[in-house]
Amino acid sequence: MARVKRALPVVVVVAFLLALMYPVALLLGMPLARARMGSVSNWVRETVAALPVADADAGGERLPFGGAGDVDERLAALARGTAVVVRGSEVLAAGVDLADGAAVLPSPLAGPAAELGPPLAPLPAPAGSPGLAGRLHRLPDAGLVGAPLYRDGRLLRRGSAPALERADGARRDFTVPGAGRRSGDAPAVAVVAGAALLEGEGFELEGDTLVFDAPPAFNAPVSLLTADYEVLDPAAGTVVLRDPLPPGSALRAARSHVALAEGLVGAVDGENRTFTLQHVPVLETDPARVLYLDDTPLSGAAERPQERVDGSQRTFTFPSDRGIVTVDGRELVAGRDYERAGDVVTFAAPPPRNAAVRQYPDYRVSDPNAGTVTLAVPPAPGQTVWAAAYTYYAHPACGETAFECFLGLPQHPVPFPHWVAERVVPFFTAYPFSDTRNVVRATLYTAAGTLVSLAFGTLIGVLLAVAFVRVKPFEQALLPWVIASQTIPVIALVPVLVAVLGNLGVTVQTSLVPAAIVGAYIAFFPITVGTVTGLRSVDPLALDLMKAYAASPLQSFLKLRFPAAVPYLFTSLKLGAAAALVGALVAEVESNNRLGLGYAIIGQVQAGDVADVWILLGISALLGIGLVSLVGLLQRLVAPWQRTGLAAGAEDG
Amino acid sequence: MAEGRSPASVPGGAPVISVRGVSKVFQVGKGEAVALQDADLEVRQGDFVSLIGPSGCGKTTLMRLIADLTEPTTGEIDVAGKTPRQAREDREYGYVFQAPVLYEWRTVLANVTLPLEIMGFDRSKRRERARELLRMVGLERFERSYPWQLSGGMQQRVSIARALAFDPKLLLMDEPFGALDEITREAMNLELLRLWQETRKTVVFVTHSIAEAVFLSTRIVVMTARPGRIREVIDVDLPYPRTAATRETPRFFELTTQVREALRGVEHGQGAAPSPRVAERSVGY
Repeated sequence: MARVKRALPVVVVVAFLLALMYPVALLLGMPLARARMGSVSNWVRETVAALPVADADAGGERLPFGGAGDVDERLAALARGTAVVVRGSEVLAAGVDLADGAAVLPSPLAGPAAELGPPLAPLPAPAGSPGLAGRLHRLPDAGLVGAPLYRDGRLLRRGSAPALERADGARRDFTVPGAGRRSGDAPAVAVVAGAALLEGEGFELEGDTLVFDAPPAFNAPVSLLTADYEVLDPAAGTVVLRDPLPPGSALRAARSHVALAEGLVGAVDGENRTFTLQHVPVLETDPARVLYLDDTPLSGAAERPQERVDGSQRTFTFPSDRGIVTVDGRELVAGRDYERAGDVVTFAAPPPRNAAVRQYPDYRVSDPNAGTVTLAVPPAPGQTVWAAAYTYYAHPACGETAFECFLGLPQHPVPFPHWVAERVVPFFTAYPFSDTRNVVRATLYTAAGTLVSLAFGTLIGVLLAVAFVRVKPFEQALLPWVIASQTIPVIALVPVLVAVLGNLGVTVQTSLVPAAIVGAYIAFFPITVGTVTGLRSVDPLALDLMKAYAASPLQSFLKLRFPAAVPYLFTSLKLGAAAALVGALVAEVESNNRLGLGYAIIGQVQAGDVADVWILLGISALLGIGLVSLVGLLQRLVAPWQRTGLAAGAEDG
Repeated sequence: MAEGRSPASVPGGAPVISVRGVSKVFQVGKGEAVALQDADLEVRQGDFVSLIGPSGCGKTTLMRLIADLTEPTTGEIDVAGKTPRQAREDREYGYVFQAPVLYEWRTVLANVTLPLEIMGFDRSKRRERARELLRMVGLERFERSYPWQLSGGMQQRVSIARALAFDPKLLLMDEPFGALDEITREAMNLELLRLWQETRKTVVFVTHSIAEAVFLSTRIVVMTARPGRIREVIDVDLPYPRTAATRETPRFFELTTQVREALRGVEHGQGAAPSPRVAERSVGY
C-alpha cells in the first residue's frame, strides 16, 4: 500500500505529461498541416478528358451513360447545359444537359454512338495462373490502344488504383485504399509491372492490403483493378478484364465513338474573349491541356521573342503572326501599346530589361485559380469552345481536412504518444541482439562506457579531493585549472581527443576509450567538489574526539573524515553519473562510434522518424535514471546509515 | 579571595589533576578575550568535581585545557603527573562532549568500539568490552541501531559508554546532559552516580545546573565570568548512597543555596558581596 502511495505521484505526473503531448502535438502540427493543405503543389492532380459515355448502339436525344449509371464524378459536376458531345474533334452537339444518368441532347444524334472494330483476340492464361483464362485479350491493331472497349456493344470502364507503397524488391504487402470494399465474390485482379495477377494465384487480399506470394521487383508499379478492364501493355495492346469474357460474347474496341466533353463557360457573342474551365485550380502550363474552338485545336503555348529584352529593344519577332502579347503577365492592347506587322511586334515604349515578353497565339490562362482563359480572338456566335483534356488540382494530397493532413504529415514535431507506443516493439525487435544496430545492445554499450568513465572520474575526483584537503598549496595551485577545465565545451574537446587517440592507434569508431575519457573528464569535477565539501564537513567536536583519542592522522582520515564525506561523495556521484552519460553520448557521436546510443539518436534525427527519436529520448532518460539509481543502490549498500536519498549529503554532517 | 585561590582539595587520594595559575586568552579579531584567568585547581583520585558558573566563565575552556584540546596562555597543568599532551597521548582520560558526537555511519556498538579500534585492541575484545559497557548504560538491545534511531538521552549514554570504553581513570564530562529535558536529566544523574560509584573514576563535570552539581559532586568549583575565574570551592558532604530522596533533604537545600549565593557573589565567611545583588542579575544562568 505504501509502495502504491509512493508510486502514485510519479504515475500521475507521467500520465499528465503524456496527456499533455496530445494538445502539444496538435498545437505544433496543425499549422504545418494547414500550410500543406494551402499549397496547391501538394494537391492531387487529376485530368479531365472527353469520356466515352454511351453503349455502342445508343442514339436519339438521350444518350444513357454506360456502366449502370456509373457517372463520372467530374462530368456530374459540370454546370447544366455546358457539356459538349463530340466524335473525335468534331462537335456533334453543344449545350448538352446531364440528367438522370443520361446526356440530353438538343437534337437527336445521327447514327450510333460508336463504330466498333474487329473483336479482340483472347490470350491463353499464363502457366500457374489458370484463373486468368478468358480475362486476357489483345487488341487487333495497336492504333486502337486507348480507344474504349465494348462487350457486346456495352461500354466498359477502364480503371485501376495504385498501391500507396513503393516496391523495394523485398516488400510483399501493399495497401490500396478501398481495396477491401468490393461487391460479390469475384476474385480481385492486381496489375504488377504490366502483368496481371489473380487473387488466390499470386496474392491474397486482407482488408485493403495485398499480400504477394513473391515480392514485386524493385520499382515495379503495383495497382489493383477497380473498373471493368485495364491496359496491361500499351505497346503489345494487351488488356485484362475483371470478369472473364463469357463464351459467345465479343470484345471490341471503338474505331470512332461519341464522347462527352466539358464546354467552357462564357458568352459567345462575338465580343467576349474570356471563358472559364469548370474544374479549378488549373495548371498554368499544362502540357495535357487541349482546347478546341469547334473542331480547331487552340494553342496555349507561350512564344518567346527572338530578341533579347535589354531595356531599349522595342521591336520583337515571334514565331507566329497573331496572338495576345504580354509583358510580365500583363496583357497589352494592340494599337495602343504595340503595333503588329506580321510576326513583328513594335512596342510603343521599350519593355524593361529582362521583362518576360510573351505571345500566346490562340489563348492564355489568365487566372489559373479561377480557371479563366482569354482567347486571342473572340469566338463568333454559334461557335463552341470546349476542352478535350486538361489537368486541375482536385484536392489536397494529404486529405480533405486539416486534421487528416496532420495525421499524414511525414514528420511530426511532436508525435501522439500512442504512435510512439506502437513503434516501441518494432523498434526494439528490428534487429536481433547479435546485430550492432540492436537498441538494447547499443544501450548496454553506452551504459558500459558511462560506468567505465564514472569509475575513472570517481578515482580522479576522490584522489584530487583528498590531495586538496590534505595539501593546501596543491589546492591553491590546481583548483583554478580544474575549474577552467570545465569551462571548455566538451563538443570542442572531443575532436582533438579523437585525433590524438587515432594517432595513438586506437580505432575510435569501435572503442570505448573516447567515451570513457570524455565521461570521466566531465564527471570528475562534481565528484571533486562534493568530496572536498564532504571532507571539510566534519563536526569540529568529532575532530576533538579523535584528538582526545590521540588518533593518528591516517586513523583520523579513515575513521572520521572519509566516512563523513561519503554522503557528499554519493550525491556528487549521482550528478557525475548523469554528466558522464552526456559525455559518453557526445563522445560516441563525435567519434562516429556506431555501436552506442549516441549514434542511434543522431541517426534517427537525420532519418526523420520522430516516433523513434522519442523512443530514444525515453531510453536515454531511463538509462540516466537507471545509472543514478545504481549509484543510489550502491549508496544503500555502502552507507546504510543514510536516511534519505539525494538530499542526504546536504544535511548537517 | 584567598580561599578561592588556594588549591581546592580534600584529604583522600593522590592528586590526578593539578592546575596552577592557568590563564587562557583568545584572539578575537584584533582584540583579546580572557577566557580564564589565574585558575588554580586540584582534583584528587576518586573525586567528582563539578565546575559550575554562568556562560563564558571558562568552564569548558578549563576542561579543554586539561584534555589538551587547547593550550594555556600561561600557567601549568599536570594530569596524572604528566603534561596534558603526554596524558592525552597516553589516553589517561575519557572525554564526554556537550553533544553526543556519535559517528552517524557507525552503529551504536561500533561507536563504542571506536576508541578501542584506534588503540589497536583486537576485534573480539573490542566487542566484548563494548557490549559490557552498553549493558552498563542499559542499551544492550540497541547495539545494532544507528545513532539517529536513538533519543537524545540514549545517544548521550552511548557517548558515556564510549568514554569509558578503554577504562580511563579520569573522566572529563563537559555538560553532557545540557541538552536533555529535566526528567531525563535526573534519571541520567542517578545513572551517572551509580556508574561513578561502581567504577570509582575521577570525574570532572561541567554543568549549568546547581541541583545537578550538588547532587553529583564531592566538590563544586564555582566560577564567574568576564574574566573567567574560580571564585569558590564548595565541599559537598551529602551522604551516600544518594537517591531521589536526597534532593528533599535540608542539607541538599542548604548546599544549593550556598552555591547559588556563591554564584551571585556572596562569598562565604567574608560577609556581603562588594556589589549589590541587583547588578549581579546580569549573570543570567
